[in-house]
Amino acid sequence: MSLGASLRSAVKVGLITGAVMVYLVAVGIASAFAKREVVTGFLTLGHLMLVIPPLAIGYIVAGRPLPTSQRLTHALVAGLATGVLFAAAFLLAVALSPGIRLVLNRVSSSLLDFVGFRSLGLEPGTGALLNLGLAAALALVGGLVQVAPVTVRRAVVGAGTALVVMSMVEPFLRPRLLQFGLPGAAQFVYRSHGLGMVSAALILALGAVLAVGWPRMRSTVRSRIAAADPATRGMLRWAAILVGIAFLYTLPSISGSFLTQVLVLVGFYVLLGLGLNIVVGYAGLLDLGYVAFYAVGAYFTALITSPTSALGWGLNWWIALPIVIVLSAMVGLFIGAPVLRLRGDYLAIVTLGFGEIARVLLGSDALKPWLGGPNGILSVPFMIDDGTYFLPIVGKVTGPAATYFPLMGFCILAAFIAYRLKYSRTGRAWNAMREDEDVAQATGISVVNYKLLAFAMGASVGCVGGAIYATHLQGVVPGGFVLLVSITVLAVVVLGGMGSIPGVIVGAFALIGTPELLREFAEYKLLVYGAVLVAVMVLRPEGLIPDASRRAELEEARQPEEGELQVEYDEISGEA
Amino acid sequence: MTAADPEVTTDASADERPLLVATDVTKTFEGLVANRDIDFEIPRHSIVAIIGPNGAGKTTFFNQLSGVYHPTSGTIEFEGIDISGMPPHAVAGLGVARTYQNIRLFQNMTVLANVMVGRHVRMHGQWYQAIAGLGGIRQEEEATRRRAFELLELVGISRRSAADLSKNLPYGDQRRLEIARALASDPKLLLLDEPTAGMNPGETRQMTDFIGRLRRELKLTILLIEHDMKVVMGVSERITVLDYGEKIAEGTPAEIRANPRVIEAYLGKQATA
Amino acid sequence: MRRPLNLSLVDVILWALRVAIVVGVAVGTITTLSTTRLSGDQWRDLLIFGISQGSVYALIALGYTLVYGVLLMINFAHGDVFMFGGMTAFFAADWLSDNGVLNTAPFIAVPIILLVGAVSSTVVALLLERIAYRPLRRAPRLVPLITAIGASLFISNSVRGLYGDGVMAYPRVDAFQGTFNLLGIPILKTHAIVIVSAVVLMTVLYWFVERTRTGRAMRAVSEDKDTAALMGIDVDRIISITFAIGGALAGAAGVLYAIVYNQVIWSMGFLPGIKAFTAAVLGGIGSIVGAMLGGLVLGVLESLAPTLLLAGFGVPSPNQLRDVIAFSVLVLVLIFRPYGLFGRPESK
Repeated sequence: MSLGASLRSAVKVGLITGAVMVYLVAVGIASAFAKREVVTGFLTLGHLMLVIPPLAIGYIVAGRPLPTSQRLTHALVAGLATGVLFAAAFLLAVALSPGIRLVLNRVSSSLLDFVGFRSLGLEPGTGALLNLGLAAALALVGGLVQVAPVTVRRAVVGAGTALVVMSMVEPFLRPRLLQFGLPGAAQFVYRSHGLGMVSAALILALGAVLAVGWPRMRSTVRSRIAAADPATRGMLRWAAILVGIAFLYTLPSISGSFLTQVLVLVGFYVLLGLGLNIVVGYAGLLDLGYVAFYAVGAYFTALITSPTSALGWGLNWWIALPIVIVLSAMVGLFIGAPVLRLRGDYLAIVTLGFGEIARVLLGSDALKPWLGGPNGILSVPFMIDDGTYFLPIVGKVTGPAATYFPLMGFCILAAFIAYRLKYSRTGRAWNAMREDEDVAQATGISVVNYKLLAFAMGASVGCVGGAIYATHLQGVVPGGFVLLVSITVLAVVVLGGMGSIPGVIVGAFALIGTPELLREFAEYKLLVYGAVLVAVMVLRPEGLIPDASRRAELEEARQPEEGELQVEYDEISGEA
Repeated sequence: MTAADPEVTTDASADERPLLVATDVTKTFEGLVANRDIDFEIPRHSIVAIIGPNGAGKTTFFNQLSGVYHPTSGTIEFEGIDISGMPPHAVAGLGVARTYQNIRLFQNMTVLANVMVGRHVRMHGQWYQAIAGLGGIRQEEEATRRRAFELLELVGISRRSAADLSKNLPYGDQRRLEIARALASDPKLLLLDEPTAGMNPGETRQMTDFIGRLRRELKLTILLIEHDMKVVMGVSERITVLDYGEKIAEGTPAEIRANPRVIEAYLGKQATA
Repeated sequence: MRRPLNLSLVDVILWALRVAIVVGVAVGTITTLSTTRLSGDQWRDLLIFGISQGSVYALIALGYTLVYGVLLMINFAHGDVFMFGGMTAFFAADWLSDNGVLNTAPFIAVPIILLVGAVSSTVVALLLERIAYRPLRRAPRLVPLITAIGASLFISNSVRGLYGDGVMAYPRVDAFQGTFNLLGIPILKTHAIVIVSAVVLMTVLYWFVERTRTGRAMRAVSEDKDTAALMGIDVDRIISITFAIGGALAGAAGVLYAIVYNQVIWSMGFLPGIKAFTAAVLGGIGSIVGAMLGGLVLGVLESLAPTLLLAGFGVPSPNQLRDVIAFSVLVLVLIFRPYGLFGRPESK
């Protein structure tokens, strides 16, 4: 790339970044996040939303293969472009204010004051210049971090991450500190809702140290494990699993009911995600009406278990569960059979249609005698002893924790099933079908049967989710079963990496858990889901935790020993 | 979901019968005749080739043998079983495996997994067994994995690339992997669609040698499709020539080389040169 | 030619479904008509409403069909492009109404509003193509579909953030109130405007695609992108133009929709979007005439069917199930005639 062209492209990305910042302000994200303190009285998340883009663009632009001095100039140029666009938009908005608010309803005068540093007594013109200067300076800083030695880079990133994470976990960390009798610590770490200055400095330092030390620690641990004999390694693996289960088991007692509630929500999406992952990730069938199965499971359960439902059987939930699973698998087969011959994108739209039909029917007067219309079905009994029971070690379990334990159990079971299927003849057949249907068929795979199997399997998992949902809320109403549920589950699967089991878990935490911690974010949740779907598909279609690489590692680990391969050709043909 | 077990032919005279017999096969697409009244046989343990210029209907015919298309009229019998109405997966179950002209691997699966999928029809594990870990599922997986490594070695793909995604293999290895995948089903008949397409002369020679070796060492029956005549002359015993969807000649390489219709229809240019 | 009768479970289910539909439709219609629930005038009004609704669907459906014809992808976010046009044009309408222009010179003001809607939708459609779809042109089909779903969420929620999340009431145009008589049939003026505008726009589009150089290039790209590129056609440009035209039509549809319903909201893109897609499929996706016919058929069906089919069975509040009719049509068409009511199966 010639210098001129690379400068031009620096300006271009700078302008794009500026546009993104203007968008973040205009859409209201920046001001919503300004309510969330990172360091009390000094820095809010809203600031960070505007600080990070120029930093990042400087960092990225300076990463180009150019001489060091030029890399910094380019970063600066990009930052200037960002700043110019942002400042210009700011001035324009000020000029059009207050009329602009009639169109862009978030662009209030207080927002403009915030962006233009009015609190420092600046006029709009000076405020714009300050913004321009800040953007350039931040981009330069980003560029400097990029050209700095790797240790510095790690330290900076680590420190930043630590700061943000520690301030974000305030809503549940502070109550925990108080609960465990550490009011002093709570007082020291958090001033008001953000971090104190001193604790912020400490956290920055700690983050930097950890980030620098981490790679070395990790490689040491890895090489130790690699050096260990297979028996020890097996024991280590079991130990890790046991520690993990023990952690999950005791989590509600330490986390408090708010976080447990969040975990339950995440758990539902992990379960649904694992089910949809079989359909979308393994078999490559895009199901946009997954919520229909969730609804079917919930309503079947409510019908069978609620004494006030049309059936009025009032069965025990655990007896109802197998009935519901069988029924739902049949529904999956019945819906699946006619549509599975369709091409992929049509299948997606048809399933979406089914989801919407289910949604409308649930709330309709037509089915009101059975499904209760908009009122749904109430008085669904809780699955275990009316929601209060005792567990060893943990003691009395009540509230959201009562759902947490069985739900975790089902999640682990679903993950286990998904794992077993993945590395089996069935899982490979699904993958083959996903990759190339014709070839899969020529390889002897009965495509229709395997599609039906995937569909029914996904349906069953979704229905179990619905069954738990019904008993968790002790009732069902149609409002819980909208298209957005389908799309959210899809986003969870896509973000984590289609076909990847750990991906589903990470995806659910990122997309369901994070918004719960960032309450201000709730309004923009769907916006972010949309952005995630686009960004992942365009930039990183394999997702956060790609499926393939894990698969590769796993198979590498199972390669047979050298000697086993010495097989004569005759022996091969003998089997034929 | 289990494919039907292949007919086991124990009786010695069965060996004399051709493995595959196509009778009067005609295939039309909306009035266009792609294949007209083709009679065709593949004797056991032979290498047979179908050649013809581009657009002669070779691939259409091939696709009918593997069940992708169903003949408009005529029958195709494999080991005495009529396969002309069967779906491709059932044909594969009987012991017909194929490769593709424009390599079609399962790109985002590992090399090893590609071969293991190829063994699908010879495996029996069902989904419920896989979940429960019962029914000898582990042994079957282990045996399949071992067999897959053997086949990779046989076709000459390094063990080191077994865990790579198949799309990341070099071109020649992708061709070989496709063959390994086909071999994994223990086929009786191996259909190779232009196995040397896109290869240089050196690679082409290697591939033809390899095809010969496959027949010798695995006692396979092989049908080749080629439009490059030089490739098939050395390796095949019988050659069928298609032109405009019709069979215009059949015979040994020497007969084909001397056949005036073939020279006219197909080798015209080379013959005058 | 002997062929074994291969009746699988799937076929059985499909046949059962066919029979159930035919029986259901017949019984429902006969019962309703025999009870004469509605008067002839009421049926006629429903029909006209259906046609005007269908015209809007048809305009949106053209965008789906154009993009599908050229790129073979379902632009799921197209409904939100439609919404964006209607929403943005609201501000123009509001301004013109405040100035009084809307009522003093409605036939200048309304075209301006339509233009604002069309231009703003075009901009979004172009950005959408450039950012979300162009990088994925060689990706497997499901990838751009997932992106499109994401883009749909992103656009609608951006509008919610930018413009606010309440319902916005479109100003009334006095000149468009009331009815006028066509051959003795009273027609709501708003419906007449929608139908006429839609017909004009569709005719222009048809002429454009069939008769102009760019239109020919579009058809060439839809046949075979690579060959078109070899023949000197700038494929990227043609695809952008396709999105632009689709966007403009959707924007105009957004304004027309607002004229009929008098209100807009950020979430209004989804249902008309999916119904317009149904219309496009109904008419055979990729076909311009098909999209128009499909839109009309769906509009009329949606308007008549709840009363005609469901009321006959004594279903309470059948109009709640309007959307079920539309989605059932979608599902059934895709299952039984994925190439559309008027199309022919793809040869294989």
